[in-house]
Amino acid sequence: MSDAENPSNPTPDEQTDFEPVQVFDDETEMDLRPGADNCYKCTTCDTTCPVAEVDDDFPGPKFQGPEQWRLKRKDDEDIDDSITSCSNCMRCDNACPSSVPLSQMHNTARGEYVDKQMDKLSREYLRNRLLSNYRIMAEIGSKVPRLTNFALNNSLVQKVNEKVLGITSERDFPEFAEQTFREWWHERGGAQVSSEEKKIAYFHGCYSNYNTPEVAKALVRVFEEFGYEIAVPRQRCSGTPMFANGMLDDAERAAEVNVSEFSDLIDEGYDVIASCTSCSMSLRQEYPELFEFHGTAEVSAHTYEAMEYLRIHEDLESEIEDASVEEQSFAYHAPCHARNQGLERQAVELFRELDGVNIEDVGDSCSGISGTYGWKDEKYDTSMKIGEEMFDHMEHAEGNVGMTECPTCSMQMEHGTGYDIKHPLQLLEEALV
Amino acid sequence: MTETPSVLVIGGGSTGCGIVRDLAMRGLDVTLVEKGNLTHGTTGRMHGLLHSGGRYAVSDQPSARECIEENRVLRRIATHCVEMTGGLFVQRPEDDDEYFEQKLQGCRDCGIPAEVLSGDEAREMEPYLAKDVKRAIRVPDGAIDPFRLCVANAADAIDRGARVETHAEVVDVLVEDDEIVGVEVEHGEKAIGIGDGEPGTREKLYADYVVNATGAWAGQIGEMAGVEVAVRPSKGVMTIMNVRQVDTVVNRCRPKGDADIIVPHETTCILGTTDEEVEDPEDYPEEGWEVDLMIDTLSELVPMLSEARTIRSFWGVRPLYEPPGTGTVDPTDITRDFFLLDHADRDGLPGMASIVGGKLTTYRMMAEKISNHVCETLGVEADCRTAEEPLPGSSDFSVLREWMDEFGIRSPVGRRSAQRLGSRTDDVLGRWDGPNPVVCDCEAVTRAEIHDAIDHSGTDLNAVRIRTRSSMGNCQGAFCCHRMANELIHDHDELVVRDSLDELYQERWKGERHALWGEQLSQAMLKHMLHATTMNRDGDPAASDSVIDFAAFDAGEAAPAAAGGATGDDPDRAATDGGTEGENADS
Repeated sequence: MSDAENPSNPTPDEQTDFEPVQVFDDETEMDLRPGADNCYKCTTCDTTCPVAEVDDDFPGPKFQGPEQWRLKRKDDEDIDDSITSCSNCMRCDNACPSSVPLSQMHNTARGEYVDKQMDKLSREYLRNRLLSNYRIMAEIGSKVPRLTNFALNNSLVQKVNEKVLGITSERDFPEFAEQTFREWWHERGGAQVSSEEKKIAYFHGCYSNYNTPEVAKALVRVFEEFGYEIAVPRQRCSGTPMFANGMLDDAERAAEVNVSEFSDLIDEGYDVIASCTSCSMSLRQEYPELFEFHGTAEVSAHTYEAMEYLRIHEDLESEIEDASVEEQSFAYHAPCHARNQGLERQAVELFRELDGVNIEDVGDSCSGISGTYGWKDEKYDTSMKIGEEMFDHMEHAEGNVGMTECPTCSMQMEHGTGYDIKHPLQLLEEALV
Repeated sequence: MTETPSVLVIGGGSTGCGIVRDLAMRGLDVTLVEKGNLTHGTTGRMHGLLHSGGRYAVSDQPSARECIEENRVLRRIATHCVEMTGGLFVQRPEDDDEYFEQKLQGCRDCGIPAEVLSGDEAREMEPYLAKDVKRAIRVPDGAIDPFRLCVANAADAIDRGARVETHAEVVDVLVEDDEIVGVEVEHGEKAIGIGDGEPGTREKLYADYVVNATGAWAGQIGEMAGVEVAVRPSKGVMTIMNVRQVDTVVNRCRPKGDADIIVPHETTCILGTTDEEVEDPEDYPEEGWEVDLMIDTLSELVPMLSEARTIRSFWGVRPLYEPPGTGTVDPTDITRDFFLLDHADRDGLPGMASIVGGKLTTYRMMAEKISNHVCETLGVEADCRTAEEPLPGSSDFSVLREWMDEFGIRSPVGRRSAQRLGSRTDDVLGRWDGPNPVVCDCEAVTRAEIHDAIDHSGTDLNAVRIRTRSSMGNCQGAFCCHRMANELIHDHDELVVRDSLDELYQERWKGERHALWGEQLSQAMLKHMLHATTMNRDGDPAASDSVIDFAAFDAGEAAPAAAGGATGDDPDRAATDGGTEGENADS
């Protein structure tokens, strides 16, 4: 039925349903001053900030968030440049006893800073744009994975990256898989299980597509084992690295695709499952805080991390108790973004019941890499200082294989200890499939 | 006559500070006395509106014309005290169309630039206005900081040789041979404030002329001189919100009424106000329903106010006056105009004039008129220059600087500092030697600015507060009262510092107690617990008069060894069991 056929004429009230708060050009115009009302300055956020702990010059989340916002006047444009030192670990969100929307304030301030104050021709801007659009690099690189892997980890290339782009040469680039997850998915002919009731739409994100398809494949096999029909819709980056770099326009474009694709599937009865805790965090929390596309709220409400979902809907505990694997020991690190979703204990609680497995939590510190943060030349030392506690605890743990849900935490764990790092889904696959 | 004529001004509010500056600029020997700190009375208890005149455009056009004239002057001479926010008279659907037209016409009649906006246009300016607002008139209202304004006037006067005595209360008006010749003041007990007075003493100050600029207190001074000044003090409540829900002054466009204005003030918004006559300007009830009325009524204009955080409420008393025999019943109908009462003409008692009525926006004009009168009476020929010469801090300045590179401070901190310090920024921040941490986080006040304020106001931390806004933010001093006091300790006696801290703490509590619900209740509780548990401020024995019975504490098990030479195994061991029973029971 076209609008012309619609018999109900808009009433005058509907016509004046003008909402200027929601019709800003873009999200960087958001006014978060009222969000400062919740802050009573207790400073708990500052005590949990991993950057503030190692960097005395960093003023901390309370200043970056409620204080800076409260001090703003409407037309003020200067956001303090220390906002670029926030790693977007979002621990402050969890620490706050008073529900201050800290990471929303930080994301918005960072977006404003990049939009209005950063020189778009500066090396820093170009580098950050490149890092936050990792998916595009990966898309190209994975066309010729062997060449890319060789080239990126050539020490000369690394030096050039550091000098020209400010990407640290200390780290080795993650290798691209010879076959992406999506290529594999198409090759196998998509979903192998069909179901009317149990349907998930998989948000694999970039890393498990281009770099660790074994994680994505593990997810597919585990969920199919439990009888789920899986859809793998078209998708873009979740936006996490873009938020962390203040590239809100890029994030908005990516989010628009994701929300549109996944909300359609939600209408068909699917839930959204991510294997990366930052991806699920982004869809769940950051999208509704920063964007207002149709379907954003539905996507947020229907998104889960993979193991979380299985623990809710399946009797995973019994399955694990009945299973056994070869003797192995893990040093498990919970990513900050998993923590924010209340998921920091699930892997340990589950796998300690698994025959043959010894798993130890290496503590509640941050790994320090925070996505693209630890890749920046000027942030590398901070990143490694933050990571020290985790490295130390990993070395004292019995196992010499690391485990975590987050791709960049796993890079940091590997970088700091030399351990191999697994995703919990891989162990789940080994135990149950 | 070779000696410079001397003038004594009573009252350190905007009028008194304006007069003392004006007369000092004209070369007179001026002294200002104030019983509290500057702005202690009505000036420090107003909503901070720089009137465009719009509010009086229908009811009181002469006042409206004065307002727009002085609005323009203050934008020029007091740039660091003024924020030109613009103002709106907002009409809701239930508000009278005819009055809207009268308001618009009145503004135009009085030369107040006025522009009509549709409801949508108004909401684009101020997105948190209610969805159903009908239309609005835009006028050049602004926000003004009364504290900085008075302080800048007084500072300029001092620079020009004036003497300013705060915490000096007038206890008598000296009359000799049927002429007022001066006043007797009592300097405060405590060595706080500015001036040369010896604490706790009385001093007689003689002058060729006395100006009673005490506003709502003018009747009390008049009584000391034996003349009647029939001021009708009228109280009004103002409620401070934690953040700026609006960046424009928002007025309700209707004839008159309580709770019809929201003024963005520095980091906050101030909701105002009520108008109710009181007997005594210092003793009147402050009631919860007045605050509720403010929030409920103004939520009709800005709905989010009903859920927003309030950080404190305060009451001020207007010094309303009307000539004897006018007989107005409702205080809202009393004119806002000011009156100069020459007691020589009026009461046959030369040597003093009282100034009553008026409003902050026209303080300078009032000061000019009374200074003219004083000069005329004393036979001094000098022109007023206060409309041309900017106040200290109000020369050209910009808040856009490389704060970190130039001053080592974060840019929001630098921006706020410059908004307060104006052209004095380089002087205050640039000349500071040594570490410059932020002392008050909520309002972004650094140590350098605190010390600048201390230099100008002595140990009175409330005077430091009004100069810097330190402790005026959302934690209401929870995290900075003691830090401010700490800045005094190197140069002052411990007891003086303790007194100053107590006074600041109590002053903060005066307003906080009217906002104890929701977030601010949590805030107040956190403040209490922090101060009680870390600084013993809920019962510090050192702060009380009672002598501590140290003997009631035993010294632990090792005590007999130390005291009586008996054996003790380990003299360093603390008594974790409270000591042996009975040892000191009778001592």
